[in-house]
Amino acid sequence: MSVVTEVSPDGQKLTISIKGRFDFGRHQEFRESYERLNKKPQSIVVDLKEATYLDSSALGMLLLLRDHAGGDDSDIRVVNSSSDVKKILAISNFDKLFDIS
Amino acid sequence: MTDPHVDRDVLDTLREVMEDGYQELLETFLADSESRLHELQATTSAKALSDVAHSFKGSASNMGAVRLAALCQDLESNAKDKSPETLAQLVAEIHGEFANVRSVYEDEKLHVHTH
Amino acid sequence: MQAQEPLTVLIAEDSAADRLLLSTIVRRQGHEVLTASNGAEAVDTFERQHPDLVLMDAMMPVMDGFEAARQIKALAGEALVPIIFLTSLTESEALARCLEAGGDDFLAKPYNQVILAAKIKAMDRLRRLQATVLQQRDLIAKHHDYLLNEQRVAKAVFDKVAHSGCLSAPSIRYLQSPYALFNGDLLLAAYTPAGDMHVMLGDFTGHGLPAAVGAMPLAEVFYGMTAKGYGLAETLREMNAKLKRILPVDMFCCATLLCLSFQRRSVEVWNGGMPDGYLHRMASGERVPLPARHLPLGILSAQAFDDRTDVYPMAVDDRVFLLSDGVIDTCDANDQLFGVERLQQVFAANREPDRLFEDIEQALRDFRGQARDDVSMVEVSLLESAQTQGPASAYPESGPSCPLDWSASFEFRGATLRRFNPLPFLLQLLLEVHGLRSQSGALYSVLAELYSNALEHGVLGLDSSLKRDAAGFARYYELRGARLASLQDGFVRVHLQVQPQGEGGCLVIRVEDSGKGFDVARIMERPLDTVRLSGRGISLVRQLGRNASWSDQGRSASVEFFWEIEA
Repeated sequence: MSVVTEVSPDGQKLTISIKGRFDFGRHQEFRESYERLNKKPQSIVVDLKEATYLDSSALGMLLLLRDHAGGDDSDIRVVNSSSDVKKILAISNFDKLFDIS
Repeated sequence: MTDPHVDRDVLDTLREVMEDGYQELLETFLADSESRLHELQATTSAKALSDVAHSFKGSASNMGAVRLAALCQDLESNAKDKSPETLAQLVAEIHGEFANVRSVYEDEKLHVHTH
Repeated sequence: MQAQEPLTVLIAEDSAADRLLLSTIVRRQGHEVLTASNGAEAVDTFERQHPDLVLMDAMMPVMDGFEAARQIKALAGEALVPIIFLTSLTESEALARCLEAGGDDFLAKPYNQVILAAKIKAMDRLRRLQATVLQQRDLIAKHHDYLLNEQRVAKAVFDKVAHSGCLSAPSIRYLQSPYALFNGDLLLAAYTPAGDMHVMLGDFTGHGLPAAVGAMPLAEVFYGMTAKGYGLAETLREMNAKLKRILPVDMFCCATLLCLSFQRRSVEVWNGGMPDGYLHRMASGERVPLPARHLPLGILSAQAFDDRTDVYPMAVDDRVFLLSDGVIDTCDANDQLFGVERLQQVFAANREPDRLFEDIEQALRDFRGQARDDVSMVEVSLLESAQTQGPASAYPESGPSCPLDWSASFEFRGATLRRFNPLPFLLQLLLEVHGLRSQSGALYSVLAELYSNALEHGVLGLDSSLKRDAAGFARYYELRGARLASLQDGFVRVHLQVQPQGEGGCLVIRVEDSGKGFDVARIMERPLDTVRLSGRGISLVRQLGRNASWSDQGRSASVEFFWEIEA
């Protein structure tokens, strides 16, 4: 599994971890990771610790997640980005939409 | 009683499969066999003997003529190696065996409607 | 047991008795039977009647079963016509010959009905499977052809869209791999009515047709608004709103937009999500990065969208270089990115500026062994000749009704000045006067100068002498942005008066502002056509219009245009 999902016991926090390449090949898995939940979590963490690469379709997937989680009212943190991944997120100015660390 | 020449079970099956065509099958086999025997008589070429024996073996086995098929198999396999005398001997045996089974098939033909 | 569809079965057997027996068995199993008594007959029957399956005796006169099988397989082509050899052959060598000749299975004598039925059934399954595979393959091939053709047509359309602007201008050099546009890269360029040049390099998310779909509306907005005299900010807002409206949430367009102005010796830049561009100052050799300060187009709502641009001074022959991420995201065999550092090494090693693209391509090849198919690069120079490269009139003759005797006055106040650019609106109004259309470039340039003078030096009180060096230039535009954002009061008034005169007519433009005015006499003493960064606006107005004059201590500017009716 290259997309691993974990929900906190109280159901408030969803953590989605990506392993390997985060590109269009992950599209289905990534969407299912949050769409199949019965209850919308209050906050979402996207863990990129084991993500080796991120392309523009991955950025699109993050936008889909943001839209699903309530757009401007969403609380999404993108954590553990490698320096390469951080560069891509910085060029796209995605730090204006997501809390990136 | 087991017939060493013709497998009666095969004949039963053929009768059942062929239904109205049974008599024609018997006639065709007999006519076919006459011409095979003629071919065996007419040649001394090992290759020709082997080929004819092969075909004859095939139809003999289909018709349940087990001993005839075995003799043909013998001729087919050994045509290259055996002396002309031995081959002539084998061809003669095949003739003899066909004479044996012929009466069986003729008999079947006559009684085809009584079965 | 599933009922089997009846097949046409060819039986090739030289022994009449066996042939009769086998025909009867096969027919009883519900199939249609064709017979042949030797190989040649079998081939002939196959050619004429196309049976589905063949039962073939190996040893036959005239042509044996092996040769007949070979010929039948050749005739059948790609379709699977199973051949079951009828044989009492026992030697493995002979069985191998059957397979080599194309046989699919064997049936030994004496025949067994049950086995025969099972084999025919198995072969029929195989035959159907093969037919399905072929059918699906042909379908896929058809769809593929269809798709390729659609892509070809779409590419032709998009190529036209992307090349209908001024990409062939002498100041532009660009390189796009043939399918770059199809991978979502879009390069557009067009002149504004004032002769400035707008350039856009965009990169849609994803690949293929979906990525290229957004290119059409974007190009439409870009060309339409540039031709009408809208600035980058308005054009960007419209593009963003349009993409936000039509694209799915996960699609967006990274883009850099440039406005190169020879008149102002400057370049205005907006970069949303594209790799750094570079302003290459030829005098110093310095390369100033033009980094992404914004989210890509199509993500933010109209309210949240940020249209702020950066303005940099440019000297004649300075160049702006833009590139798509296909360049820096090129990966080598170990998934290493080419990266910005390697790009900068190419910059440093480049000796002939005109061979920069070739140097970059070579570096990409050396790095990876092959170039990606979504590499786009563009370089725009500020050329002296750009001034004379006026745009062709974007307004075709629209009819005989032509207003010739009228006047109109407008007052644009604080809140409006913050957001609204009235120039396209004013130009459109003036171009209703057919006689003025041939002068639309000069007209727009003069209007633009008078308006920006009134706004920047008048209403916003900015000192043009700030612009004498690069640092001051940046400071000037920073101040401009800040003061405009907090603008409450003030006005710019525009009076237009059109009157018939002889065979033609006359237009008087008067622009007033609420500012403090300036020392008219001192400015007028300066020689025309100065190439300093500041004060060029006034000399431009004096060159392009007639009877340019300033009154009310510089708070009111007036200029005239004349035209003759062509016979």
